[in-house]
Amino acid sequence: MSKKSNQPAKNTLNDLFGSKTRIKILKFLFRNYLSDFNAKDMAKKLQEADIAVNREIKMLVKIGLINKKK
Amino acid sequence: MAKRNRHKKNSSKNKTRRSKTIRAKVKFKKKARQKTINSRAKRRTRHPANLGTGSSTRPGTSKRKAMYSLNQNFEFFSELKSLILKASPAEKDSLIKKISALGKIKLAVISGIFLNSDIESSASATADLFIVGDDIDRNKLRNFLKSLEAEIGREIRFGLMDREEFEYRFGMFDRFIRVLLEGPHEKIINRLGI
Repeated sequence: MSKKSNQPAKNTLNDLFGSKTRIKILKFLFRNYLSDFNAKDMAKKLQEADIAVNREIKMLVKIGLINKKK
Repeated sequence: MAKRNRHKKNSSKNKTRRSKTIRAKVKFKKKARQKTINSRAKRRTRHPANLGTGSSTRPGTSKRKAMYSLNQNFEFFSELKSLILKASPAEKDSLIKKISALGKIKLAVISGIFLNSDIESSASATADLFIVGDDIDRNKLRNFLKSLEAEIGREIRFGLMDREEFEYRFGMFDRFIRVLLEGPHEKIINRLGI
């Protein structure tokens, strides 16, 4: 019982961050953070639309959480 | 050539300050394009999220895609990391429901990534999800694992046995079973009474 209250449901973060795609991307990034990735592969892995993933990535680059490499 | 013109157009918009560096970059790009394509292909195959999924990415489909990586100097990097990783990867209730729908499930054990928030300690577990059951629908199972991996953002290490095999291995103190059941784990479905 007490254990359950210690573990926030995944919806908490979805709601807090305002986007399911965004939190999926963040989870993906922090669980694999030593490697590079490209947007299309990530969208495929996360089962999210390319356009939604691209939008979130753009935002994350803008705030400086992720780096873009050419 | 077309590429170069495009860059020229852009640079004229931004006036002269950036145009020099951009032109230099374009020159460099032309020379090193083949090289970067090769190294990208290599990098992609090394990506941990691609391990074990086979041919999910065909080489050459994304030759002009920009690569991204997490900026570890980000202002709130460690705070954000602990926040994201603290959240349980999947809700237990929905997990139980989905696993039960796969077939006649006798036992389901979660471990590794489902229990530990930090990557190092969860990497030491032998499996993240272990299921014992009969008459399991393979297609459902594949879809379930795929969507679970999408939710978690990482490959999960998965084990499946039918009841007979599990009881045999359990009886002979099989190493895999022993390590799994002696390490940190949680039985979310247990109809075997162990």
